[in-house]
Amino acid sequence: MGKGGFYLETKGPIIKFAIAEKFINLARANSIWPMTFGLACCAIEMMAAAMARFDIARFGAEVFRPSPRQADLMIINGTVTKKMAPTIVTLFEQMPSPKWVIAMGNCAISGGPFVFEGQYNIIEGIDKLIPVDVYVPGCPPRPEGLLEALMKLEEKITGTRRFPIPEQKW
Amino acid sequence: MVKTVFDDIKNTLKGVEISETSYDERGYHLAIESQKANIINIVEFFDGKGFYLEDLCCVDYKDYLELVYFFNNHKELCRVKVALKVESDKPAAPTISRIYTIANWYEREIHEFFGVYFENHTNLTYLFLHDEIDCYPLRKDRVPVTEDDRRLLNSFKPEEYEDGFFINLGPQHPSTHGVLRVVVKMDGEYIVSAEPVLGYLHRMHEKMAENRSYLQFLPNPPRMDYLGALNYNLGHVTTVEKLCSITVPERAQYIRTITAELNRISSHLLWVGAFVADLGGLTPFLYTFQDREHILDILEGIAGSRLTYCYFRFGGLYNDVDDAFIDATKQFIKHLRGRFGMYEKLVTKNVIFINRVKGIGILEQDKVPKYGCSGPVIRSTGIPFDIRKTEPYAAYDRIGFEIPTGTIGDNLDRYMIRIREMEISLNIIEEAIEKLPSGPFKAEKVPKKLKPPKGDIYHTVESPRGELGVYIVSDETDTPYRMRWRVPSYSNLMTFPYLAKGELISDAIATLGSYDLVIPEIDR
Repeated sequence: MGKGGFYLETKGPIIKFAIAEKFINLARANSIWPMTFGLACCAIEMMAAAMARFDIARFGAEVFRPSPRQADLMIINGTVTKKMAPTIVTLFEQMPSPKWVIAMGNCAISGGPFVFEGQYNIIEGIDKLIPVDVYVPGCPPRPEGLLEALMKLEEKITGTRRFPIPEQKW
Repeated sequence: MVKTVFDDIKNTLKGVEISETSYDERGYHLAIESQKANIINIVEFFDGKGFYLEDLCCVDYKDYLELVYFFNNHKELCRVKVALKVESDKPAAPTISRIYTIANWYEREIHEFFGVYFENHTNLTYLFLHDEIDCYPLRKDRVPVTEDDRRLLNSFKPEEYEDGFFINLGPQHPSTHGVLRVVVKMDGEYIVSAEPVLGYLHRMHEKMAENRSYLQFLPNPPRMDYLGALNYNLGHVTTVEKLCSITVPERAQYIRTITAELNRISSHLLWVGAFVADLGGLTPFLYTFQDREHILDILEGIAGSRLTYCYFRFGGLYNDVDDAFIDATKQFIKHLRGRFGMYEKLVTKNVIFINRVKGIGILEQDKVPKYGCSGPVIRSTGIPFDIRKTEPYAAYDRIGFEIPTGTIGDNLDRYMIRIREMEISLNIIEEAIEKLPSGPFKAEKVPKKLKPPKGDIYHTVESPRGELGVYIVSDETDTPYRMRWRVPSYSNLMTFPYLAKGELISDAIATLGSYDLVIPEIDR
C-alpha cells in the first residue's frame, strides 16, 4: 500500500530546467486544486474555509475537484479508519504527480482523541500510509489553520513565503 | 396507555413476566423478561398495537448476554423494555427482522460486535467492521471470531448481473455527505436495489465509554454528530444527571434550551445549503454558511470552540452567559428572520427546485413504525412526533411551540419542515431569553467522580436529525458498564433502500440528501 504514489514523486521528471521549474512551481503554489473529500468533523471546517467569510479563493485554492485525477492537493480531514484506509491510498495513487497532502486535525495526525488501549478500528496517523507535507493541529482546527497550512505548502513548493506572518498581538 | 398495554399483555400473552417500573428513575414504563420461545409473540404483539422498535442492543454480563428491545409509541408515550437472556457461549436468538425492518441492521450490528447468531436472518454479513478484525469488540472478555463468522467478513460480492450494472456511490462521493457507501444495482438510469454499507467512520465511541469515566467521556458525544454537537452533549449530560439524580438550576435549563436551539438552526442551515447543492444549486450554500457563521460566533463566545462544543456539564454549564451573548442572539434572530424571505425567493419558489423534489421519495405513514424513523423524516409523513413535546427535557415544557408536519412525506415536505423548524426555533429562543431567570448556572456539590447507583436508564432528546436515545447500564463504578447510543440517522437511512427502489439515480441523490445524514453518527 502507498508505494505507487510515493515512487512517482521521488523520481521526478527525467529532464529538469531550473528556471522553468521555478516559474511552474510558482504557478502551482498559487493555483492549488484540492480534492472534494470529506471524512469527519474537520470537513465542515474545510467547507467553512471555502465559503464567503474565510474565502480560500484569495489564495487560489478554491477549485475543489471531486475527481482525484484533476486534483493536486489531498486534505485528509478526519479520522482514518481501517476500513477507509485502502480507499484513501487508492485515491492518493490516482492523483497525478506532483501532489501534496495536508493532514488536517488531530485524528489525521496521530489518531487524536480516539487512541486508547485496545482500539481496533483506526489508523493512528495518516502518515503511516501516505507522505504528508503539512500538519494542522486542532480538534477541529479553525479555518484560519487550514489557510496557514496553504501558506506553508506554498513555502514548501516555491521556497519563499508570499504572504507575511501576521503580527502576534498577545 | 401504560395501564392498557400492561393489562393486554397480562391477558393475551400467558406466562410473560411483566413489571411496572418508575419512569422517572428508569426512563421506561414497563419491563418484560422474555424467553427465546415467546420473544416472537411479544414482538408481534407490539407490532399489532402500532408500536415501533426504538432500539435493539446487547449487554454483556459475562455469564450471559442480554438483548434489550425498546418499544415506544408515536401517538402516546409508552416505553417498554423487553429483555432476552442468551447464553454467552455460542449465543443465538430468533430474528425479528421479518416483523420490524430496522431490526435487520440492529441484529447485524449485534452479530458483529457481540457474536450473537440470529436464526433465519436473511443476510448476517458484517456491516461495520473491517476485514482483519479478530474478536468481538464489545464483549467484556476477548472472544475470537468464529470460523463461521470469518466467512461473513467482507462477503459482499456483486453477483453476475447481465441486464444492468452496479454503481458504488461512495465512500468518497460529494453527495453522500461523508463516507457513506451505497452499492446501487442499476437498470439503465433506474435503481433496481440499493444497499448501504456502513462503518467507514466507526470510531469506537461505545467501546471508549466503557474505558473512561463519565466526565472523561464528555468530549465524545459532540464528535458523534458534529453538526448538532450541543444536542448530543445535552443527551449525554441529561441522562447521567437523571441516573445520578442531580437537579439542575432553572437558569441552566433555559440556557441549555437557547444554545441547543441555536445549534439546531446552524445544523438546519448547513443542511439547506448542502441539500440544494446536491441538486445542483451552489448559490444558497454560500448564503447559508454566511448565516451559520453568526451562530458559530455566538456559541464560540460562550463555549470556546467553533464546531464540537462541549458546553454542558453534569449539573449545569461550563460558564454563565453574559449580556454580550444575549444581545448577539437577539440581533441574530432579527437578522435571520429577514433572510427567510430571501431563501424563499431563492429556493422555495424556484421552479427547478420544486420539480426536482416534489413527489420524489414518498414515505407512507403506515411504513414508519417498521423503520422507526424520527425527526423531520417522520414529521414529513404527518405524524407530529417530537421528543421535545413527548418527553420534555431542559426548559421545553415551559415554552410553547408547535410541531410542523408535512402531508405526503416527500422530499419537498422534508425541506419545508426544516425551514419551518428554524422559524420555530427562533421563537423558542426569543421566548427563552424573555423568561431567562437569574440565579446559579450550575448545581452545587456535584462530585468530580460520579458513581451512579446500580441499574439502567434510557433517555432521549431531540437532535436536529431526530430521536437520540442514550442507554446506560451502571455497575456502581465511575465508568459506565455499557453505554449505548440510539442514533436517528441510522433508522432514517434504513428507509433509503425502500425509497430508492425504482427511482432515477438523480432523484435518489435528492432523497439521500433529504435525510440530513451525518455519517459519524451512524457509524459511531
